[in-house]
Amino acid sequence: MKKEIAITAYKCRKCGKIHYPYHDRCLECKGREFEQIKPEGDVTLLAYTAIFNLPWGFDQRYLILGVAEFENHVKAMGQIKVDSVDQLKAGMKMKPSWEPVRVQYGEDVYGLKFEPME
Amino acid sequence: MRDVAIIGAGMIPFGRRDEDTLMEMLAYASLKALDDAGLGDKSVDAVYLANMGGGMLQHQSAIASSLVDRLSLLPAAADTVENGPASGASAIKNGLLAVASGYYDTVLVVGGEKMREVTGWRATDFVATMTHPQAEYPYGITLPGMAGMFTRLYMEKHGVTREHLLAVSLKNQEMGTLNPYAHVEMALDREGVFDSPHAVVNNPVSADPLHLYDLCPVSDGAAAIVICPLEMAKKLSKPPVLIAGFGQATDTHTLQERDDPTDLKAVTLAAKQALEMAKLKPSDISVAELHDAFTILEIAESEHVGFFKKGEGGKAAAAGKTRLGGQIPINLSGGLKARGHPVGATGVAQVVDIVWQLRHELPKTRQVKNAQTGLTVNFGGFGNNVLSFVLKRVEP
Ligand SMILES: [Zn+2]
Repeated sequence: MKKEIAITAYKCRKCGKIHYPYHDRCLECKGREFEQIKPEGDVTLLAYTAIFNLPWGFDQRYLILGVAEFENHVKAMGQIKVDSVDQLKAGMKMKPSWEPVRVQYGEDVYGLKFEPME
Repeated sequence: MRDVAIIGAGMIPFGRRDEDTLMEMLAYASLKALDDAGLGDKSVDAVYLANMGGGMLQHQSAIASSLVDRLSLLPAAADTVENGPASGASAIKNGLLAVASGYYDTVLVVGGEKMREVTGWRATDFVATMTHPQAEYPYGITLPGMAGMFTRLYMEKHGVTREHLLAVSLKNQEMGTLNPYAHVEMALDREGVFDSPHAVVNNPVSADPLHLYDLCPVSDGAAAIVICPLEMAKKLSKPPVLIAGFGQATDTHTLQERDDPTDLKAVTLAAKQALEMAKLKPSDISVAELHDAFTILEIAESEHVGFFKKGEGGKAAAAGKTRLGGQIPINLSGGLKARGHPVGATGVAQVVDIVWQLRHELPKTRQVKNAQTGLTVNFGGFGNNVLSFVLKRVEP
């Protein structure tokens, strides 16, 4: 079953700046009231890397990670479902999903994953 | 505000120091700095101890209290300063402000870290605890991973190439072979790590597009300085080194919330403040120690500090302009890349290396002739907390 992307971003009620993650005051105008919004629309890959020295808690040999921007300007990090960075290019459209990204204390931790649209 | 000078500097060799505890390393470096300052049998008013991982890696807290006890510095004031990989420079800043204000006269600043006590797997996780606990850490991102993303963006925007990054690795590892305090004392062979078909095996991708030899090692080590008012320092025999300027700035926790993730605003601001306070321009600096945890950072910082225009730093490194005898010699200690990066020690070690340069105490192979001014950049998180110092030689 496909899970909903459980990320909440915060839109400043005063100036409209979109924040993710949460800040207690707006980074632009220091406003304190935010509208909670969900990441929506097309997703564009901004930056990516493949890491081969993983931190404690990860069993695989490597991990491909990136930052992508949703159409409504929410930017977030996620794991990328490709075999190699050769399949990636900044600016390409990605399909987001909400899936287990690691296991902690025997439980799945869910997070963002991206995969190229094609 | 009083002018503040460095009168003692000491370091222990960085590397894998299985034989020493964290506290022993801190004590050895402190004693070297106290002896160098001629305070062998005297006390100090206060101690600022820089350390990031004592609580996590050694399961030991409040270590400044423990150190003053070991060193018989009681009842000196003592604080531990934790500011990630910028802890060292933060501790120096605390000491500087305390002496400048007139509150304390003599202050010991020591930084140390013992990272090889745990596996590389654990050490990588320890450093990754600096990342955002919800938006970054759960994904498995590491500091090299952040640097990898930054490198690709920086390459695309400012034309840095792998050849430029290689020039930094080659220079810094070569300088490491000349520095008895360096962790990595092996010169790199360009053929073996870049040109030959075996390079993919010898120098594999570590955090794409960064390769193994673009990254600093995981190290144990400690370094210390003693500071006091300049007027007191002038009565001593060694040339005092004036802390002529300092700056510190912060930036967003996550890279994604920066308008331009290739713009290291905190580096620009910290260095600008330090230079303005010292009334100097980047071109007035004789020698610099920059925070090259990754080769790309030496290039990016050399541009953000103002030594080179954006897009020129990589070319300058490849053309030898940052070597000894070049336009602005950078990381003649070997930098983090070769001296090593025991996180809490680094910011202090950078200043120790500049003190030695400004006292003209180094062997010819590493000494900038007649060096008068030095600059440091200590880079915390991924550029979210950065400190810079400008140091100046004062004739005794
Ligand atoms: Zn706002």
